[in-house]
Amino acid sequence: MTLLNLVDISVRYGRLTAVRGVSINLKEGEVLFITGPNGAGKSSLLRAIAGVTPTAGGHVEFDGAQITGRTPEDIARLGFSMVPEGREVFGSLTIEENLMVGAGMHSRTPGWKGQTAADLDSVYNTFPILKERRNQQAGLLSGGQQQMLVIGRALMARPRLIAIDEPSLGLAPNITDQVYERLIALQAERKLTLLIVEQSSTRAVMVGGRMILMRSGQVVLDGDARELGNSEAMQAAYFGYEDH
Amino acid sequence: MSISTPATDPILSAEAIAARKPGPFSLAGKSIVTPILLVLILLAIAIVTMMIGSKPFNQVIIDLFVRVILVVGLYVFIGNSGVMSFGQIGFTCLGAYVAAWLTINPVMKKMSLPGLPDFILKTKMEYWQAAIFATIFAAIAALIFGRILMRLSGIAASIATFAMLAMINTIYSNWDRVTGATSSVVGIPIVRSIWPYFTAAAIVIFIAWLHAISRAGLALRAARDEPTAAAASGIDIPKQRLIAFVISGAIMGAGGALTAHSIGVVTPDNFYLSLTFVTLSMLVVGGMGSLTGSVLGVVILSALIQGLRFLEAGVPVGGSMLALPKGLQEIALGIIMIVILVLRPSGLFGNRELTLNRNRSE
Repeated sequence: MTLLNLVDISVRYGRLTAVRGVSINLKEGEVLFITGPNGAGKSSLLRAIAGVTPTAGGHVEFDGAQITGRTPEDIARLGFSMVPEGREVFGSLTIEENLMVGAGMHSRTPGWKGQTAADLDSVYNTFPILKERRNQQAGLLSGGQQQMLVIGRALMARPRLIAIDEPSLGLAPNITDQVYERLIALQAERKLTLLIVEQSSTRAVMVGGRMILMRSGQVVLDGDARELGNSEAMQAAYFGYEDH
Repeated sequence: MSISTPATDPILSAEAIAARKPGPFSLAGKSIVTPILLVLILLAIAIVTMMIGSKPFNQVIIDLFVRVILVVGLYVFIGNSGVMSFGQIGFTCLGAYVAAWLTINPVMKKMSLPGLPDFILKTKMEYWQAAIFATIFAAIAALIFGRILMRLSGIAASIATFAMLAMINTIYSNWDRVTGATSSVVGIPIVRSIWPYFTAAAIVIFIAWLHAISRAGLALRAARDEPTAAAASGIDIPKQRLIAFVISGAIMGAGGALTAHSIGVVTPDNFYLSLTFVTLSMLVVGGMGSLTGSVLGVVILSALIQGLRFLEAGVPVGGSMLALPKGLQEIALGIIMIVILVLRPSGLFGNRELTLNRNRSE
C-alpha cells in the first residue's frame, strides 16, 4: 500500500530552484534512502514534504490524503515525523521533557497517559542511555546521544513514517553504526516506513532497502540499494560524468 | 508496543558507564519546591517589614511586591517563548485605568472622567473586585493583540509589541474624557497594608509555575529552543505563544491595578518606557529563562537601588554626613548591571531554578 506519494514536487528559493519535479512513491514499511551530493535538493525535498518549506509545484499525498500546503504541525499529527538536520534537541529541556513534547500532539486522545508511559518505556528500552540521563538537560548530551534522543522523540509521536535528515552528520562511524542498528531494529519491529537522507550511499548499501539518487534537484537513479551500490552507473550519476 | 532491548554492545555500555556519574550541570526538574521557596522568601521580607513598622519602608516593600508581579508576568511570556516583548507594560496601563475607573468615588469621577459610560460612572468597587476586572480586561486585550502579533518572530515581534505599547500610551494620553489624558487621575483608594500585595505576588508566582510545568509551557520552551523541530513535533507555535501572552497580559493587568492602589494616582506615562525598561532589566539580570531569576532579580536589584538611595541621602560618619553625589545611584546601578551581565550573560540564574538539592540527577 502506498503511504507517501510525491507527484512532481518543485521547491524554489527565490530564483534558485532546489527541487525540479520529483515524483516518488513510497510503500508502507519500506526503507528509502535519498542520496546525492551537496546541493542536490535532498533536504529541501524532505522539508517540503514535512511542510516546513513551501512547495512551488506538485503535490504530496500521505496515507491517501492531500497534505500539500498544510502546516508542519498538522502533517506531524497525521503520523509523519520529521527529524530535522543537525539533531535539533530542545536544549534547555530535560531528556524526558523532550520525549514528552514528542508525545504531546496526542494528548487529547483517550488513554493518552497510559499509552505515553508505555511508549516512554519502550524508547528507554531501545536507548538505555536516555533513561540514565533522563533528568539532565538535553543540550549537554553528546552528538550520538542527541541523535538517539531526536529519534526517540519522533517515536513518541507514534508515527507511521519517520523521515530523518542526515543522521550520520558529525557523528563518529561507530556511533553512526549504533544509531542505524537501533533504527533498523525499530523499523522491523514496528513496520515503520523510513525515509533517510544521506549524502553518501555507503550506509544505504550496508543497510539495504531502496535507494534514490538525486542530483541538481532531480531523481537520477532509483533502485535496490545493494544492486545500485557502488556500480559504475551510480558513480557516474553521482558525479555527473555523463555531462562531460 | 514492545521493543526488545538490543544485545549489549560494548561501545554503548562504556558510554553508559561514563554517563552514570551525574554531570555538574544536571538540572532538577521544575519542582514545586521552587515556587514555595520563592514565596517563603517574600513572606520573610513581609514579616521583617511588619516588625520594622516604618511607613516609608512599608511603601518600598509594596513597590517590591508589585515589581515581582510585573516581572513574573514578563517571564511567563518572554522567558518561556524567547520572544522579547516591549509591550507588556501596555497591559499594566490598561489594568491600572480599569482599577481607577471602578474604584474612584462616583462624584469625583463625574467631574474628572465624564466620558466614562454611565454604569461605570455609578460604580464604586472594592479594590480587589476592581483588580479582578482589571485582570480580565487586560487578558482580553492581550488575546486580541496576541492573535495578530503571535505570528511574528524575532525582532519583528519585538518591534510590533513596542508599537502596541506606543499605541496604548497614545490613546490613553489623548482620550481626556475617559482617561484624563496626560493629567493625573487622582482619588484612587490607597491600600497601605502589604498583605494584599504579598498575596497577589504569591498567587502570580504559582500561576507562572503551573504554566511553566504544563504541557503548554513545555511546548513553548521547546519552540523557543528549536522552532522547526517543535513544529515537526506537532506544536502549534502561534497558539502556544498566544496562551502565554494572554496569561502574561492578565498578570500585567493585575499588577497595574495594584500599582494604582499603591500610589493612588495614575498617568499614562507611569506605564511607559521607564517602567518597561526597569522591569525588563530586572528580568534579564535575574535570568530570563528562570522563575527564580525573575523573582530574585527584582529583590536583588530593588535592594541595590534602595542601598544606593540610602547612600545618596547621606550616612553620618563621625559627626559629619558622608553622601554620594546625586545621580550616582543611576550610574552605579547601570555599572552593576553591566558587570552582572558580563560575568553571567544569561543572568544571575540563567535557566536554573531554586531547589533544595541542587544536584538531583535522578
